[in-house]
Amino acid sequence: MAQLADVEETLKRIEAHKGVIGTVVVNAEGIPIRTSLDNSSAVQYAGLLQDLTMRARSSVRDMDPQNDLTFLRIRSKKHEIMVSPENNFLLIVIQNPCE
Amino acid sequence: MCLYIYIYIYIHTSKQIHIKHFEMDSLQIIQLTLETNCNSKQTKACQTVVLHSADVLVQTVSVSSSGSQTEAQDQEQPFVQGDHAPSAPGLKEFLQRVEDVVTRELVRNAQSHAFHGYQVKWEEPSQQVSLLHHLHPPCATERNLHVSCVSWSCTGSRIVCGYGRMDDGDWSTQSSFVCAWNLDRGVLSRKTDLMIDVHTTVTALSCHPTYPALIAGGLFTGEVLVWDSSRTLDPVLARTGMLAESHREPVYHVSWVSLGQKKEDLQVLSCCSGGKILLWTLNSDPTRLVLSDAFALVLSQIPHSSSFKVTSVGVTSLAVSPWDSDTFLVGCEGGLLLRCSFSCQTLADISSSSEQAVPLRAPVVFTFTQNKGPVHSIHCSAFHRNLFLCCGTDGSVHLHSLLQADPLMSVRVSDCYLFQVQWSPSRPLVFAVATGQGEVHLYDLGRRSLKPSSVLQRDGSRQPSTCLNFNSHNPRLLAVGSADGSVCVWQLSAELTQQDTREGGTLELIANQVSE
Repeated sequence: MAQLADVEETLKRIEAHKGVIGTVVVNAEGIPIRTSLDNSSAVQYAGLLQDLTMRARSSVRDMDPQNDLTFLRIRSKKHEIMVSPENNFLLIVIQNPCE
Repeated sequence: MCLYIYIYIYIHTSKQIHIKHFEMDSLQIIQLTLETNCNSKQTKACQTVVLHSADVLVQTVSVSSSGSQTEAQDQEQPFVQGDHAPSAPGLKEFLQRVEDVVTRELVRNAQSHAFHGYQVKWEEPSQQVSLLHHLHPPCATERNLHVSCVSWSCTGSRIVCGYGRMDDGDWSTQSSFVCAWNLDRGVLSRKTDLMIDVHTTVTALSCHPTYPALIAGGLFTGEVLVWDSSRTLDPVLARTGMLAESHREPVYHVSWVSLGQKKEDLQVLSCCSGGKILLWTLNSDPTRLVLSDAFALVLSQIPHSSSFKVTSVGVTSLAVSPWDSDTFLVGCEGGLLLRCSFSCQTLADISSSSEQAVPLRAPVVFTFTQNKGPVHSIHCSAFHRNLFLCCGTDGSVHLHSLLQADPLMSVRVSDCYLFQVQWSPSRPLVFAVATGQGEVHLYDLGRRSLKPSSVLQRDGSRQPSTCLNFNSHNPRLLAVGSADGSVCVWQLSAELTQQDTREGGTLELIANQVSE
């Protein structure tokens, strides 16, 4: 239970930053395991971004096999999506950078 | 018995091809050496030993058959969350590792001006508004019918229009029709795709949000029908019939709402100028619309009604809020603007002669400032939960918030009647108004001055524009129906349809002007 509390605390700290709309944590199978958005959006983000992250990672490694993807940021008209990839998990944070 | 044959072929730089062989008890391949300069050639052959084969017969002893069918898949994807869900191993460590990186990026992003004012143009911006199609069914002019309502189908390619005359009153026995054009057919777009004859004026129309063939319509006599345009013989799928509990006055608005647990269950909501709002279901009986819920507006049950100078509460317009499935807004003949709820429990104060199967309820929760004439149209904003627009015969469009009785803003459009107002589906600050002089005004609330940012007028026509509808699939198209029986489809310019980054914020500011 202490583990669970730590996980929740970390996610709450991330969500407390300025402009953050939501976060999604995705496991290796592409299923969102923690999120602050509604279910359907979380599933959509998880599916689409996992594919994109795999593609980005393979692009980076194809260009230079010694290199690897550390962070992925997608800037759109309405907000910015940040993805932290790992072998087993994916952390997706959606932020609205107020200008 | 399995045969394994391995043949290694490798090419030397000395241009010689060797084929090695592998000797098995049943197969022999003799080594073959080929030289590419073809100085020496050797021909060899190989052959397998006799193949052993056997015949076997099989016969079924017992037979059974069964069928299977897939069920509609539940839309809910597997999702694991909750306090009781076991934490995935390694999740905590992963989060601890990435937290710093993510935090640094978030903070840097919040302060960065890197993309300030940066805009990417994905398509060629078109500056102009142009008239794409001018559609006119031939029988409309002979019978002198007006377009009373237009609706785009859910795929965005078909436009359905209802015809009729609204100014003849109860004496009219004129039959009219519903017709549709499919605008994706290229050259053939001008020919009507569908023509349904109706015995009386069609006063309201609404296309189903997911099935492109279903159209709900309301008639002048008070009947509510559902047409299925995929049926060739008789397009009427279901009708209400003239029962004691159905409408007796013209139905001014129909729409498809989903109130049940399942998202697929859509019901038809209709309102009439007799003051009743009825909810019909399609599922139980295939040919009849069955009443599932009923509401009635009674003057004595409307809050603060003593200050109003109205005698009748016939409903002329209705809008369901896309944010809150429980709230709907009603506009009345006397100018009353009411906010109602589907889940209210108080019974309506109507003495009815017969026992009603479905009891009438009084839905009114809140009353807004009264308009100076019948409210012809209400529309809720899809971008902000509290905002909605209404227009009526007083020539102004009022922007209201659900939280207060007075309008937040009033835009004076013209001196004549306004028949319909609708928010743009792609830009939160833009709305369109159809006026009685035939013009359609498009306003942009982001501009400082309240003059229309665009005025759409077909040359040579001063007939009133009676209805308009944005195409939610392709937000650049706007259909306008006019009293001369024709429908114009306008293509809007890029600046009227493409959303700017700061519009959401501006809309919030406008909505927050609610006085304390």
